[in-house]
Amino acid sequence: MKKAVIFSMVTALVMATVAAVQAQQRDGISIVGSSTVYPFATVVAEKFGKAGTFKAPKIESTGTGGGFKLFCGGVGIQHPDISNASRAIKASEFEACRKNGVTDIVEVKIGYDGIVVANSKKTPALKLTSKDIFLALAKEVPDPKGGENLVANPYKTWKDVNASLPNVKIEVLGPPPTSGTRDAFIELAMEPGALKFEPLKKLSKEDAKKFTKLFSSIREDGAYIEAGENDNLIVQKLGANPNALGIFGFSFLDQNTDKIQGSFVDGNQPTFENIASGKYPLSRPLFFYVKKAHVGVIPGIKEYLAEFTSEKAWGKDGYLSEKGLIPMPDAERKQVAENVKATKAMTEVK
Amino acid sequence: MNNTLSPPAASPPRRTIEIVNRSLKRRYRAERRFRFYGLLAIMLSVLFLALLFASIVGKGYSAFWQTSIRLAIFFDPEVIKKDTLVNADYAALVRESLFKRFPQVEERQDKRQLTSMLSSGSVYRLRDMVLQDPDLVGKTAEVWLPADDDMDMLIKGHFRRDLPESERRVSDKQIAWIERLEAEGRLERRFNTMFLTAGDSREPELAGIWGAVSGSFFTLVITLVLSFPIGVAAAVYLEEFAKKNRWTDLIEVNINNLAAVPSIVFGLLGLAVFLNFFGLPRSAPLVGGLVLTLMTLPTIIIASRSALTAVPPSIREAALGVGASKMQMVVHHVLPLALPGMLTGTIIGMARALGESAPLLMIGMVAFIVDIPKGFTDSATVLPVQIYLWADSPERAFVERTSAAIMVLLAFLVVMNAGAIILRKKFERRW
Amino acid sequence: MLTLTRMDETALAHTMVETDSKPRSGDDPGKRRVSREIRETVGRVTVDDPRMVCRNVNVYYGDKQAIKNVSVDIGRNEVLAMIGPSGCGKSTFIRCLNRMNDTIDGCRVTGEIILDGTNIYDKSVDVVPLRAQVGMVFQKPNPFPKSIYENVAYGPRIHGLARNKAELDECVETSLRKAGLWEEVKDRLDHPGTGLSGGQQQRLCIARTIAVNPEVILMDEPCSALDPIATSVIEDLIDELRIQYSICIVTHSMQQAARVSQRTAYFHLGDLIEVGPTGRIFTNPSHQLTQDYITGRFG
Ligand SMILES: Nc1ncnc2c1ncn2[C@@H]1O[C@H](COP(=O)(O)OP(=O)(O)O)[C@@H](O)[C@H]1O
Ligand SMILES: [Mg+2]
Repeated sequence: MKKAVIFSMVTALVMATVAAVQAQQRDGISIVGSSTVYPFATVVAEKFGKAGTFKAPKIESTGTGGGFKLFCGGVGIQHPDISNASRAIKASEFEACRKNGVTDIVEVKIGYDGIVVANSKKTPALKLTSKDIFLALAKEVPDPKGGENLVANPYKTWKDVNASLPNVKIEVLGPPPTSGTRDAFIELAMEPGALKFEPLKKLSKEDAKKFTKLFSSIREDGAYIEAGENDNLIVQKLGANPNALGIFGFSFLDQNTDKIQGSFVDGNQPTFENIASGKYPLSRPLFFYVKKAHVGVIPGIKEYLAEFTSEKAWGKDGYLSEKGLIPMPDAERKQVAENVKATKAMTEVK
Repeated sequence: MNNTLSPPAASPPRRTIEIVNRSLKRRYRAERRFRFYGLLAIMLSVLFLALLFASIVGKGYSAFWQTSIRLAIFFDPEVIKKDTLVNADYAALVRESLFKRFPQVEERQDKRQLTSMLSSGSVYRLRDMVLQDPDLVGKTAEVWLPADDDMDMLIKGHFRRDLPESERRVSDKQIAWIERLEAEGRLERRFNTMFLTAGDSREPELAGIWGAVSGSFFTLVITLVLSFPIGVAAAVYLEEFAKKNRWTDLIEVNINNLAAVPSIVFGLLGLAVFLNFFGLPRSAPLVGGLVLTLMTLPTIIIASRSALTAVPPSIREAALGVGASKMQMVVHHVLPLALPGMLTGTIIGMARALGESAPLLMIGMVAFIVDIPKGFTDSATVLPVQIYLWADSPERAFVERTSAAIMVLLAFLVVMNAGAIILRKKFERRW
Repeated sequence: MLTLTRMDETALAHTMVETDSKPRSGDDPGKRRVSREIRETVGRVTVDDPRMVCRNVNVYYGDKQAIKNVSVDIGRNEVLAMIGPSGCGKSTFIRCLNRMNDTIDGCRVTGEIILDGTNIYDKSVDVVPLRAQVGMVFQKPNPFPKSIYENVAYGPRIHGLARNKAELDECVETSLRKAGLWEEVKDRLDHPGTGLSGGQQQRLCIARTIAVNPEVILMDEPCSALDPIATSVIEDLIDELRIQYSICIVTHSMQQAARVSQRTAYFHLGDLIEVGPTGRIFTNPSHQLTQDYITGRFG
């Protein structure tokens, strides 16, 4: 008994020491970042690993901001090599990186992701405009009776918002504030919707801060329901409640076309083609960022980049498109691929 | 029942038995009521448990079967050269075989649809076959290859065939081909060994839980090896040796507090201490085990202490009375008697650790990891994290795999808790 | 310290106890009040050939004094019985004799208890050999949850009394024989000790105690949980053991004290009221309290 206790303690100690020594090397690529890019990066990583030459990269889904925090922690094996992002790096993040010695960063734009506003196939698809979306979801809207003042959102049904829409209660299941999808949705749908109103347009020029707060405040009276980070859950709930709408990434629509459909936004439905051509407005670019100092130190980074930017991966008929990534136009792909090949570091944040 | 019991009062004789009889009905009613509530509570919880199990098993059992397609593969020596065994174009072999079977398919678009019926993992299966037996090259063999997850969903009835073509992920042509393969006996639902033996994958038909199970195993080994001896030693010291004073009271309060701290806090602590300070590797079972050790220690200490207090003092006195030293008393008599309780506490702590994912997020174990971890410092994930990741995946086929992984996790938990009961029964002694 | 003056039996101070003036109601002992002045022991506390000598022993549980200034000798090869109403401190006192009170938090002992010329409460004294020398049998039979053999062998084993298995076997056998249990258990030594009957368990505990070959055996109400037949077996056993050991026994049965002991000590609320040869105590007690107790007026 006593011996067993001592023995196990000693073993643990030894193992901890061994591990501390082993921590001095790393043979696989470490990737962190956006949960939106995660489903695409993981596919590449798996193919890359199974090809047999290198270990499959490890990919943590930390969210874009969390990813940059880790990525910008410094240069060295304990810091990740690549950070996925569902938006471009912010100037503040770039600065933080620089402060920690992460000076040379290669930006790789990989394609687009659509954000869909979908409902169950049991009811017809809605034909929305960004104005409708703003009116239905903003916390404060311009007074429907006219005038310049803002009132708490009075709209109860879609018909209230726009006479051409059906007379059903507004009920939207969407991501919580922590989610990148929500940020993108606000930027792509709510802001343009708000700008459709003359007084608000004026406001945006006079008091940008107040305007930002206005269009990014989503109503909290129950019409918008925060459904958590799990998009599958939203899809399931839409099946159970045909009158509800859900907001999530295009890949979830792509995988569930038998159950749900995307609403038209400004005249276009979220199809692969419409997003690729830019007709569908709710789409955002996806990126990843590479620490140049790690290229050539951690084995396989170059090859991973080559795999990701190859036509069979991110091309029009590539395996990433099967997973729902919307490819960039040919010319842009070529441009980015060349940058990657030359590992051209970005000099400033656009 | 004796008359003499009644007090010698003038008032109407009040015999105890009469008073008792009068209240008897009420007492029994109360008892029946209580029993009924108790039964109701049990039935409700059993019902919910049954519902949970039924829904999980109902959704998940089909993941243990996977649609496979049998193809005659010609291991073309033109394609597989001696020096390119590893990275030969095995996909070409599959393509060739399919085109031979469906010679009428000619258009490029159709050919793509045809080849996409098989999993992209088929090539690895063929590669492994050749690597294992290089003599295959030049021969033709009938090989069962996994079907694509969409085909699998179709066969399993998760996709409806009667919907318009545009609304399903499987085209009319593919359905026709599937039906032909089925008629020829080349399509079967076979036991999904991949699910039990493979690591994670983004292709549902290739995804398995073995990577997560191994990760959980390594993590729990660290947790057990550290938390059991430390927990037991701490409990023994506090209970048997430490003087009862303000310091031990303070420690006790803190331990009880720690047991109630949300697990994510331990993750933050682990990040700060093990990763940032000691520089241990991210995503490693070693660190996961350390974090979970912090989390389970209070549970084990509390359980061990109550197991120690449950040892009757007469046994201690008996040992001391024949001249055993305190240490001998503890090691020879108290510990063996307290061990079942300690083990139960430990297993319950372990079971909790097995189901924990929140603290592992902070130390990078919530990650996509293809390779199966082989040691304590390899990148790894754990079962609950795997469940979480799959539940978050868009592919429909991951729905059943999520439930199946939950079944596996539940099975482990049931085994562990049953183990706790068996251990307790086995080591339990009368005194 | 043995330098203490031996108290002369005749020179003992008279009782300072006063009973209150109310007539005794006899059937209501709660009404009797005894003033709480210091009482001195009646009778001769010393013996000619003492094994243990206790002088001015005080025991406190926290602030509460449970034993007040008790002095008494335990003679060689004699059985000293301790009687008294429950809660009077018999157990507390007997547990002082092998320092079992050490295990109780907040228990403090002052005074001297001398064994082989040293005060057992001396800082230099180790309790482990002390307890090997002064064994104890408890009120409730408490065999280890192990086999009969292991129960008896445990003491010799931890003290290293047997050099080999054969010696250990022999030790177990003789101990069980002395405890009068051998014939009953010799075929099932590997059975659990807890599976025996109450009386057998208590004899097993006695065997366990004598297996380490102590010089003094302390017994705290060893028969209180036993039926009369088992009790008489144990009593006979005690009588035999006296030949070899000094025995100190607490009992609440006066008959038992009368049967097994040579000397009897009567405790009352922490005081040692009276000590004397058993025969005299039961036939002709000197102290009122002793008289009241043995005549069954309270207790
Ligand atoms: N562990 C203890 N802590 C505090 N008081 C105690 C303890 N054990 C006994 N006492 C007190 O000491 C007195 C003597 O107890 P005890 O020696 O057990 O009496 P007896 O054995 O004669 O019945 C009682 O008043 C009892 O309440
Ligand atoms: Mg007692």
